[in-house]
Amino acid sequence: MLHVDNLTVCYGQMQALRGVSMEVSPGEMVALIGGNGAGKTTLLNTISGLVPPAAGTLSWEGRPLNSLSPDRICREGIVQVPEGRKLFPAMTVEENLIMGAYLPTVRKQRQESLRKVYDIFPRLADRRRQLAGSLSGGEQQMAALGRALMARPRLLMLDEPSLGLSPKAAVEIFATIRRLNKEGLSVLLVSQEVLETLAITVHGYVLENGVVAMKGPSAELREDPQVKMSYLGL
Amino acid sequence: MQKYRLAATAILLAMLAAFPFLEPEVYYLSFMFSVFMYVILASSWNFIGGYAGYLSFGHAAFFGIGAFATAKAASMLELSPLLTILASIPAGALAALVALIVGYPCLKIRGPYFSVVTICFAFVVELTVKNIEFLGGAEGIYLKFMDIPEKLSRSILYEVMLLLMIVTLGVAWWLGRSRLGAGLKAIRSDEEVAETMGIPTAKIKIQAFILSAFFPGIAGGLFAYYLTYIHADVVFNINISILIVLMAMFGGGGTWLGPIIGAVILTVVNEGLSTFAQAEIARIIYGALFIVVTIFMPNGIIDFFRKKGGG
Repeated sequence: MLHVDNLTVCYGQMQALRGVSMEVSPGEMVALIGGNGAGKTTLLNTISGLVPPAAGTLSWEGRPLNSLSPDRICREGIVQVPEGRKLFPAMTVEENLIMGAYLPTVRKQRQESLRKVYDIFPRLADRRRQLAGSLSGGEQQMAALGRALMARPRLLMLDEPSLGLSPKAAVEIFATIRRLNKEGLSVLLVSQEVLETLAITVHGYVLENGVVAMKGPSAELREDPQVKMSYLGL
Repeated sequence: MQKYRLAATAILLAMLAAFPFLEPEVYYLSFMFSVFMYVILASSWNFIGGYAGYLSFGHAAFFGIGAFATAKAASMLELSPLLTILASIPAGALAALVALIVGYPCLKIRGPYFSVVTICFAFVVELTVKNIEFLGGAEGIYLKFMDIPEKLSRSILYEVMLLLMIVTLGVAWWLGRSRLGAGLKAIRSDEEVAETMGIPTAKIKIQAFILSAFFPGIAGGLFAYYLTYIHADVVFNINISILIVLMAMFGGGGTWLGPIIGAVILTVVNEGLSTFAQAEIARIIYGALFIVVTIFMPNGIIDFFRKKGGG
């Protein structure tokens, strides 16, 4: 479905990604783990079209994504939930959600999408008229996830969805992500919660200094001594 | 509530339209003419500056382009008064076309850099006009005024400017509720997130910029006819650009009512100050006022009172 081939991304002189290759198959949930500055967010931003690749190719269902603008990539069904939620704080929860359904094709179904999102997150329905900036961290993450779902994604990319959340809220978010994946949504999950992430994904990639250091079935990665030592503190 | 508000607006507009029939002194007609004009300028600026957060400090350029295009057309083709007034519409379209051409590269630049580029753009347009002999060069363009009593001609231009204001505010009202307006607000909030939400940011910024140049262009044309003599120093004056920004921000950018309130208050204050104080002193007081507002009401008067009222 998504193929990243030999991708290199530079910020000025600095190479943030060096020859990264990875793929996500339909309906699959893929983990992307790695330390700070490993290039995880850069990879997501490049797939989203926010950062231009210096070399390599990105393809989506056989078609190249390289030269598309971010809004076109969203139209293709690839939607990112950015790190730190990044809601529109001065808008209400519902306005934020509606904003997610900006594209004409998904706009037609926005009432239905809205019902679905409120179904998944009843708490958002209670707070629909509240300003997004006034929500708790967990609720903001729900709203950010809900906003992305409003765009009817086929590949959802989540950047640190549990960052700064209470353990309880983090468990809830992971459970929701898992449920969405079970219903058929492909997911690319970036997280520092390595144990949890490898537990719910099928495949995983470990990024280190802009290079894919390891890859394989998540269950195997979890047992890998290197991963255990670097990321699990075992 | 909505109904009452609509009725109140209609009554207010009817009163404004009826005002010239009360045979007021020409001074009051002129004063109201400039109030309407600044409401148009500030509200139009708000499309790009308020909603999208792209602070254009060169909006006088569009005003000036409209003024020069109308004046040149009127003097060259010896247009009748009615046609001169109508000529301001294609003049506004010319301003919008310039906005399209300039906006395409400029709107890729964000934040303060965009503002600096718009200032430069306004200077380039001004210098270009000044150096083109065809456009009157350093001398400016004279227009033949209507061959009717002054009060009647002033009344006519008053009504036309009022009409343009109503149209502009109608568009502003629509924009505030439209998908386009929502997209622009998202851009102001976080452009990268807006892009990844599928909002075609480049396209809608240009649309807003074009719209925000069109109405000032028409207003410039009417202003040229009103003055009967235009010069680049007058219509491209950077003070106009700054004043437009001040008015919109003072009232409250990104809202429908904000620029209206800001334009009305600041035009009244400006007029009062220049009547009772020297121009230099007026400018100092004006500047001080703006500093106070920026510090204590960063989101404009509207927001300040809304918060107070709302508790």
